[in-house]
Order: sequence, then structure tokens, then C-alpha cells
Amino acid sequence: MSNFLSYTLQSVPWGCTFALVAVGLVLTYRATGVFNFGFGAEAYAAGVIYTELFDHGVNRVWAAVIVVCVVAPVFGAVLEAGLFSRIPVGNTTAKMVTALGVMVVLPSIVQLFPGTGNLQAPFAPFFAPVIPIFQVGSFFINGIELTTVLATMVTLLLLMALLYSKRFGLPMRAAVESPKLLELTGVNSRSVLRSSWMVATMLAGLAGVLFAPVETPVTPTNYSIILVAAIAAAAVGALRSLPLAVVGGVALGMVQGVVQGYIPQTSVWYSALVPSLPFFCLLVLLLVHPGMRTLDQSSDPMMAVEPPPPTPALAQRPPHINRLIHRFRWILAATFALIVITFSPGPWIAALTIGGAYSVIFLSITLITGLAGQLSLAQAAFAGIGAATTAQLTINQHVPALVAAVAGAIVAGGGGWVASLPALRLRGLPVTLLTLCLALLADNLLFPTSWIGGGANGLTVPRPHIFGIDFSDVDSKSFLLLVLAVVLAVSGVVHVLLRGTTGRALAAVHASPVGAASSGVAVRRLTMFVFFLSAAIAGIGGALFAMSFLQESPSDFSWFWGPTFLVIVVTVGATTVEGAIEAGFGYALIAQALTYLPSTGSSSSNAVQSAVTVLVLSFGAFTYASHPEGIVEAAKRGIATTVLRAVPANPFERVGRKNS
Amino acid sequence: MSVLELTDVHAGYGPYKALTGVTLSVQSGDAVALLGSNGVGKSTLVRVASGLVPTSQGQVCVLGRDIRGESVHALARRGVVHLPEGVGLFGDLSIEENLLLRLRRVPAPTRRRRLAEALEALGPLGSRRRTKARLLSGGQQRLVAVTGALAAQPTLLLADEPALGLSPAAADEVYAALERVRSTDTTLIIVETRLGRVENLCDRAVVLSSGRVAYDGPTSGAQDVLTGLIQRQPE
Repeated sequence: MSNFLSYTLQSVPWGCTFALVAVGLVLTYRATGVFNFGFGAEAYAAGVIYTELFDHGVNRVWAAVIVVCVVAPVFGAVLEAGLFSRIPVGNTTAKMVTALGVMVVLPSIVQLFPGTGNLQAPFAPFFAPVIPIFQVGSFFINGIELTTVLATMVTLLLLMALLYSKRFGLPMRAAVESPKLLELTGVNSRSVLRSSWMVATMLAGLAGVLFAPVETPVTPTNYSIILVAAIAAAAVGALRSLPLAVVGGVALGMVQGVVQGYIPQTSVWYSALVPSLPFFCLLVLLLVHPGMRTLDQSSDPMMAVEPPPPTPALAQRPPHINRLIHRFRWILAATFALIVITFSPGPWIAALTIGGAYSVIFLSITLITGLAGQLSLAQAAFAGIGAATTAQLTINQHVPALVAAVAGAIVAGGGGWVASLPALRLRGLPVTLLTLCLALLADNLLFPTSWIGGGANGLTVPRPHIFGIDFSDVDSKSFLLLVLAVVLAVSGVVHVLLRGTTGRALAAVHASPVGAASSGVAVRRLTMFVFFLSAAIAGIGGALFAMSFLQESPSDFSWFWGPTFLVIVVTVGATTVEGAIEAGFGYALIAQALTYLPSTGSSSSNAVQSAVTVLVLSFGAFTYASHPEGIVEAAKRGIATTVLRAVPANPFERVGRKNS
Repeated sequence: MSVLELTDVHAGYGPYKALTGVTLSVQSGDAVALLGSNGVGKSTLVRVASGLVPTSQGQVCVLGRDIRGESVHALARRGVVHLPEGVGLFGDLSIEENLLLRLRRVPAPTRRRRLAEALEALGPLGSRRRTKARLLSGGQQRLVAVTGALAAQPTLLLADEPALGLSPAAADEVYAALERVRSTDTTLIIVETRLGRVENLCDRAVVLSSGRVAYDGPTSGAQDVLTGLIQRQPE
């Protein structure tokens, strides 16, 4: 019993860390209407600035004050003014994509600065750091833990007072629902929302400063882990109740502490179950908590005042221009492919091959996000399942590589089908959180298991050997051709779905499931089908990706790649086949081009290159509100408009009209 | 004194132009019915007057001042209250909180008095002051919205189809609340598709057609214009 109490009490400060971040998530959601996926990234940036200020001789209390009271609120105001104020209130997808953009881009920006790769944080700003301050039974509380507990309690009380005050809280809650309606009551909704963002980022700053000394070195991964654990805590109060979020955070910390205490550290359960506990909790809450199922279901009564979204380039162009583009596009693409394959040096052939694999994975995002309107963060995990299945079947069962890849796609598709079952009852943000959960569970439970993902070192994946052609050479042009053939085939499937009746039915389900069902669309079957197919396509992409490197590595399919891939595809264009292909090849080729930059060959140098690649392709996520079709598509529309102004109408069509 | 003055106003949403040269003047204390079939620009006109929709051409003066560059909340603080089409309430806030938002800039003692008066005017609904607005029926929500607007004691009240989608009894209650405005100095513009209830409430009617003013005169003459416009509509 004393052991149980000791494990429980010891975990309270850790639980308070979850609670503090959970409170920040709830406040951001209630005061801005945005589920801030970027909260962990903001906390990471705050942790880095806090550490850097301390390293440059600033007292740790002053460093904390500067970060929390100056840097964080200014950053919050910049976020609101530059990004979130441009998104219409009813556009929850744009809000999520932009928040995911912050989550992906902000750590990449921070990592561009030298020396941010391995920062050792100073101690917590208040109290003596590791010396016991007081004792509860056999348990000692030190300065770091006391600071966290007190900060959580004080923050909770202050935020509740703020949110329920008539002067500040009332306009804050009203602004989330409809800023324009609030304006009509005489309140400046922009300044209300800006203040909300400033308070929310102050909380992220506080979490960053308090968490920095707990988990060193200061890395984005550590902050991301605490973010996703905090989502589970915030879900206890359905992202609406501050006290329940604190209760959830502390309870989660305590349960983790007790499980950690009783399970031997050498056990496989210890490494698998303990980190996965928050994700299990979140999964259960998403399925059973009625409040989580009704998230994002309110709509702005003033939505009609917003101008309509721009028409896509394809719809704007006259048919004869479309026909010309379609004919020349294939000729140009074939000529380009021929030249590239004939003259490219080995590393570029390898980059193109990887680009092809990425394209296939990204096409799965076109299907699930561009077509079905669901923001899935699990596509990288499905790719990983496809890769792991291919590796296991080829190495242990000696199944031919191509057959194994197809089997991998089916297994990944099965994973997608399983994900679709709870998704049938959910829409919008809950589905995104559900896919995040699945990605995290795959990352923590499946990939580290030796008989599934091969453990930390991964597995060897052989390339196919068919009709006497050996594809196993690393710089093999024949394997590139095989990958291109798969890209072409998958593109064809997605294109048919986009343009056909299935695409129209999915668009109807996306717009209104009830309306689609009343029009005779089999909503359940269609949802399950699109989840299955997109996961299967991701599985094929994962198998090709692993074959490109002749190695399946769990880190290649880490959960963080899910949001990154999504942001990249959305940036380039999630609603068209060519958008996914351009994103896939663009991502691989930019990464290859960056290898020519001066490099020290160190891991930090590689991290900078990786960060630049992500940055180049992810910035467009911030323009999602004005260009939901992607920036490449938006550019095409701009060019089409300019060309249409300059070029006269099709003379043949005029003749046809006159004759008729 | 002119409360609202529109001169050759063009406005719309993106590429769609809803108003194509509206000129209109509303004097203090007027009660104007803004009539016309769906899509002729009635809602856009009142949105232009409250600053929600910017003009692409022309001039809009409210209470003697050009509103170009003026924010929606600044106009609301000058006494322009716009009851938008639909509910016009914050569903996640209580009845009391919705009323308080309208009275936010009023000194505390006056605010308490006006809140009590508004709750009393709501009748049985007033006793459910802590009920969230989204839990009320459509008619009840509309009644709370109108009562809140009246509690703000506006100089210019723009009511966009206040009885839209309501039962006859609920519509009567809403119009009874609007009748109370006529006893004050408030200038009233009511948007409706048909003459119906506004005939008794308003002394002047403006009929819009294809984004322009087709008739501006006594309400008694509006019905013929409306009928003529309906008959001229293509099949």
C-alpha cells in the first residue's frame, strides 16, 4: 500500500505537466476555436529561447519572465494577425491544417539556428532545483516539482477567473462562435481574438519553460510527446472544461506512475505500454465521451457574409484549354522522364525513386483528405505497416517482393478499415485525433516489436526480381521505371475515383453525411472503402519506400511524419492527382538538391537540411484558408486567368455555335 | 436629419455583385420596409449599412458620417444595431449573457436596470436566464435577439427578415416587440420578402429588383410593384 501511495504521489508533478499543457489546449480551443496542434512546437520554441537566454547570462527567473510575458504573447499576436485571423470561423479544416503547419514548421525554423540541436536546459526558474523542499510521507518534493504543481494550480485559478468574467471571458467565448456577430454588438472581435491568442501562447511559453528542465536535452520530440499526452487529459473535459482537464492530466500522470512502478523496467510491457497509456485513454475517450463526438459541430451564423471560396483552376479554364493542357502534359512528362532517366547521375536516380514512393504515399492523402475531406494523420503509419509486412514476408516467408508488397497493401488497408469503424460515428477534429492516436499506437506498439517492425534497427527489404530483371542495384534505373509504373497505376485509380461517381458521392458525404444518405449514398460502405483504399495505397508507397533504401526503418514512419506529409500535400494541392505527384517528387528532389549545400556531415547539419526541405514545402499550409486547393493549383489558376485574358476564345467553338 | 444615406452603392461577394447602384435616404424616426424577392440584394443593403459588406463603388453615410474605413463594432457603438437573418444569437452563451453583450458599454447601474427590463419583457423566458440560447426554440431565440437589440436603445435598427421561419404566433410576438420601437426615436429598417406584417408597422416601402431600387414610396403602393415584378420574372 505504501508503494502504491509513493508511486501515486511521485507522479503528481508529472501529471501537473500534462495538466498545464491540457489547460493551454482547452483555453486555446475555447477562446480561439482552434485546436492548437502547434502548442507543443510553441512550448519547444519557448524552451529553446529560455535555455539560450540562460546560456547568455540572463538570470533564470528573468529568462522565464522574458519568455512567458514578452516573447510568447508577441508570438501569439503574430500568429493571430498573420495566420488565424485570415481563416473564416466556420472553416475548421483550414484551422486544423494551419495549426498542423505551425506544428511542423516552427521546430524546423528553430532548428535552422546553430546550436539548437542539443540544448541542456537550466533548472526551473523558481525554488532550489533538485533539493527536497518538503516531505509527504516517504516522498520528497523538489523545486522543479513544486514549481510545476504551483504553476498548474495558479494557472487554473487565473484562467477560470478570466474565462468566466463578464468583462473579458464573455466576449472571448462569443468571439469563438462568431466574430462578425460579436462585432455587431459593438465589441472589437479582432482585439478579443488577438488577446486570446496572446494568453494561449503565454501558457505554451510557461509549459515550455517548466518542461525544459524535466526532459533534457530540449528537443521537439519531447515536447510533442507531452502534447499528445495532454490531448488525452484535455479530452476528459471534452476540450471545454478547465478543471476536468487538470483532473485528467493529474490522473493520467498518476496512472502512468503506478504502472511504471509495478511493471519491471526490463519488461517489454514497460517500454510499450507506459508511453502508450495516454493514447489508449484518448482513443477510449474519443469513442465513449459524448462531448468529444460533438466537437466542431457549431457553425457561424454569419457565414453567409463571407465571400464564396475561389473556383479551382480546372473549373475556370475553358474546355479547349483543358484539352490542350491534358495532351501536352503527357507529352512533356514523357519527354522529361526519358531525358531524366537517360542522363541523371546515380544519386538523382535514387532521389527520383524515393520521390515516386513519396508520390504514392501522398496520393493516399489526396484520396482521404482531398476527396473524402478527412484529415488523416495516420498515413505514414499505414505506409510503415505496408513496409513492415513486405519486409517480414520477404525475409521470413521468402515471398516474392512484389507479392509481399501487395500483401502489405492489404494489411495496411485492413488497418485503414479498422480506423474507419470509429470514424463512422465521428467527423472533423475527432477523426483527426483518432488517426493521430492510431499513428502513435503504431509507433509505440507495432514498429518497435521485433516480429512486426523489426525493432529499433528495422528490417532488410529486398527489391523484386521479375522476368530476369534484377532491380537490386541501389542506383537502378529499372527500379525507378518500376516505381514510375506503380505511380502511374495508382494515379489512374485515384483519378478515376476523383472524376467518377464515387468521387461525387464522397464529395456529397463530405458536405453532408445526412444529405448524402437521404440521396441514396451508402455512407458507411463508402467511408469504409475510402479508408481501406487510402491506407492500402499508403501501404504500397511504404513498401516502395523501404525497397528504395533496401531497408525498413521504424523512424521513417514515425507518427510525426503523418502531420508532415499531410501539410506538404495540402501545401502543393490535395485535391488533384498532379498535386500529390508534384509534392512527392518535389520533396525528394529538394532534399537531394540540398545535399550540394556546404555540410559538416554532422547530425545537426543533416537536421538543418531536413528542416529546410520541410520548410520549403510546408509554408503553403498557412495559405490554406485562401487557397484550399493548394498553392500550386492557385498559381495555375492565376496563370490560367492571365492566359485567358491574353488569348482569344477558341475559334472552333465560335464556328460551332454559329453553325448550330 | 438623415440617418442613412446611400449614393450609387455597388457591393457584392467576390465576383457576384448584389447591389448595382442603389441610392437611398432614410430620415430619423422613419420606419422603412425593404422589400423584394430572394436574391435582389435586400440583406446585402442592410449589411452594407452596418459595415459588414464593403462597397466597391458609391458612398454610404450613417448618422451624417461616411462609413468608409469604419469598423463594424465602431458603427455598432454609434447606435447601429443589425439583427442578421436567422437567429443572431450566440448559441453557447446563456440568455442573460447574450443580453449583457448588447449592454456591455452601458454604465453598471443602467446596465442592471436595462437587463432587468429586458428579462421582464421576455415574459416566461426571462426566468430561464441561465439557459443556453441553443436550447431555445427558433421563435424564442429570435425573441431574445430582438429584445437584446431593443435593450441597446439603437439609433438605427436594421432587422433582416425577423420573422423568417417562425410560426405565426412566434412571428406575432417578434413583431409586437418591434412595434415597441415605433414609440421611441429609433429609425427602423425591416427587410421582408412580402408586405404582410410590415404594412402596418412601416410608413414607407423600398422595393429592390436586381440590385437596384425599383420603388420608393408609401407602403400602400408597394404591393402593385411587387406583383408586377413577380409577373415579369422569367419562367
